[in-house]
Amino acid sequence: METHETSTRRPRRRTAEGGRRLHSAGSAIVVSAAGLLVALLLNAPGLHKSATIQPEGWKRDVALGVTGPLEGLSGALLLDRPRAALKEALGRSDDDEVDTAVVAPQPKPTTPVTTPTAPPQRVKFTPEKKLRLWIAGDSLVVVPGESVLREVAGNRALDAADAIEGRIASGLERPDVFNWFTHVREVMETRKPRAVVLMFGGNDDHGFMTGIEGRDVGTFGSPTWRAEYRRRVATVMDTVTSRGGYLVWIGLPISRDADQTLRFDLINSIVQTEAAERKGRVSYLDTYFFFAGDDGGYAQYVEDETGKLVKMRADDGVHFERAAGDLIADKVLERLDDRYDFTSWRTR
Amino acid sequence: MLFPTATFAIFFMIVLPLSWALMRSGESWRAFIIAASFVFYAGWDWRFCFLLAFSIAWNQAFALAIHGRSSKHARKQLLVVALVGNLGLLGYFKYYDFFVTSTNNLFALAGIDVPLEARSILLPVGISFFTFMAISYVVDVYRGDFAPVGLGTFAAYLSFFPHLVAGPIVRPGELIPQLQAPRDPRYVDTSRAFFLIGTGLFMKVVIANHLAANIVDEVFGAPNQHSSLEVLVGIYAYSVQIYADFFGYTNIAIGIALLLGFTFPQNFDAPYSATSITDFWRRWHMTLSRWLRDYLYIPLGGNRGGTLFTYRNLMLTMLIGGLWHGAGWTFVVWGGIHGSALVAERWWRGRPGFVERPWTRGRRAWHRFVTFQVVCFAWIFFRSDSFADAWDLIERLFSAWGEPSPLVTWGVVAAIAVGIGSQYLPRHLPLAIMARFSRLPIPAQAVVLAFALLVVQAMGPEGVAPFIYFQF
Repeated sequence: METHETSTRRPRRRTAEGGRRLHSAGSAIVVSAAGLLVALLLNAPGLHKSATIQPEGWKRDVALGVTGPLEGLSGALLLDRPRAALKEALGRSDDDEVDTAVVAPQPKPTTPVTTPTAPPQRVKFTPEKKLRLWIAGDSLVVVPGESVLREVAGNRALDAADAIEGRIASGLERPDVFNWFTHVREVMETRKPRAVVLMFGGNDDHGFMTGIEGRDVGTFGSPTWRAEYRRRVATVMDTVTSRGGYLVWIGLPISRDADQTLRFDLINSIVQTEAAERKGRVSYLDTYFFFAGDDGGYAQYVEDETGKLVKMRADDGVHFERAAGDLIADKVLERLDDRYDFTSWRTR
Repeated sequence: MLFPTATFAIFFMIVLPLSWALMRSGESWRAFIIAASFVFYAGWDWRFCFLLAFSIAWNQAFALAIHGRSSKHARKQLLVVALVGNLGLLGYFKYYDFFVTSTNNLFALAGIDVPLEARSILLPVGISFFTFMAISYVVDVYRGDFAPVGLGTFAAYLSFFPHLVAGPIVRPGELIPQLQAPRDPRYVDTSRAFFLIGTGLFMKVVIANHLAANIVDEVFGAPNQHSSLEVLVGIYAYSVQIYADFFGYTNIAIGIALLLGFTFPQNFDAPYSATSITDFWRRWHMTLSRWLRDYLYIPLGGNRGGTLFTYRNLMLTMLIGGLWHGAGWTFVVWGGIHGSALVAERWWRGRPGFVERPWTRGRRAWHRFVTFQVVCFAWIFFRSDSFADAWDLIERLFSAWGEPSPLVTWGVVAAIAVGIGSQYLPRHLPLAIMARFSRLPIPAQAVVLAFALLVVQAMGPEGVAPFIYFQF
């Protein structure tokens, strides 16, 4: 056995390079523990928010059980002030707030938003009158969104500045993580995009919903859950369309996990139904068969039209690789082209 | 289990006191630290633990077998089998699908259908790092530089959690002697440890994440949508992001090891102040550079076989080093650019009559500037998903000057300035800060540490992005 006896005598002071003092292991433990404890109090509002937006489960329960009282104690001791001051100086005072409001748009009395109307005429855009594009959703939307931007590069009839907003771990179930209902409304009111591409649901395949004010929506897939999720999908669709936007909603793809694929199917069916009710204003893009292998199941590598084997899906079995993004982008642009003419200006 | 998370903080606050409590008993301590390291590793995927355990068993068995043979031929044969096992494991998990797609597509050009199918293999985190450390152990034993140690010590060496997933690549001679003799609990370099952890967190959470979220991902994702200025700044931003990300990780790893009483080698030495690519590789990911030099370049023949032979070895080393970073041809090109630059520098200095001129301030600044541009150019291929993407970016760099550049904000410029400026800090400054910190009373040290964590947490974005080097 390799053992080593160390002296218990009071140590001599010892220094290292630059004259810094070496300390005992006990000091290391005390400084680490005390430093973390004080940091917990100083950062309590942020930690409580981080706990709140965690996925459902015992970890979240424990985290909330710890950070809730900690936030109260931090406030009582005024230890939350430095963080608030720092956040204010950074212009991010809202960072620690949790907004769970699921607010449906107020329909204008003269334009009922849920009644299907005839498809509008194909509207023409030019470099002088640009079509503003906005692509948003959870992390799944980023790669297809980038592909869309690459494909429309150089098209001066499109305004695609700051076009992509992909929020990791967000969705329509958890407005506490990121409130898309508020954000979509704000974007539609301030930036006024006419072409909107959305993709949600990748993080919504579970039964834990926030923003329901004490109501029980049941487990994932239950009738009450479906009703509430349908309401949320409809809210987002109406928020876009009632402000003049044409919406292409990208459906969820087949995933490596067969159970997850089934859950995605349910979400897709809800979105598809709601899109069908808004024909001419919302277009649902089914991506399921883009990424199925020869056996109809999940495939990470798929042959492209030239017969070349290409990696379509990321190693996590859910996210897209560039080739998949390009495939989706082609279809998205086809849908947008059905509704808007942003290419004929070149032939003037 | 990522370092900048509450989960890791809890894990570490359990491990730290227990580690010191058990330190005097070598066997118990080793069993504890191995268990803790496996728990840490299982945080990603518990199935990977079997792979790590296999690597430990495989390499220890071959190290003992090699050490027990006197015949050079037998030792060499055993070494070859050991290396095939290590590289086979790495090759299967990291390069199998890359090999299949490359082969399929190559033969498809000739209209030949190859019956090989990609397997969608999940890459175990850290496999490149612990495989290289395992190889260095077996090779050192083969060379007679190192006698095999007990299984517990070797397992602690290979699995020690501070270096497990992204290095630094610590050599047996550097860590194993420390693992054999308990650390002295009276003398711990706490001020350096806290300084490294604090600066590491700041560089990762604030600088790297800010640049990734505010310019790099957007520019590399869709370069055609951005102005030339945004693309240029995006490339510089990526060079700072990858440095801040990896330097930050390494600092935290070294700091954590220091708190446990262990010293790791330095991994960075202001690489963006390098005056040549040769100098850059003495400063960037230094433990990988040393590994490639000692276990690849020199065994290939190094500079012992004439000029062209040396060039070949340099190029091969950098190409393989590029491929080590990722299973993609863009990484090979990245290695090729560095290899070409190293060859060019060696050729330049090897010209008849070449005399090294003394450094002047202006000449040094010029060399630093040119070196940084070459490094940044190579990063384009490192970051891009494909050659087409890299080409789009390069093309855009020259074709969209004068267009609006909303991504070039003061925040982005400031983060780049901090990243580059940190390379030029006087060396005595961190030492003075650490010395001042070390002389504070213990409660004051805790308060300083807490406020440092406040700044990092408040300035960083929500959530924690994984470290870039975890994917390698």
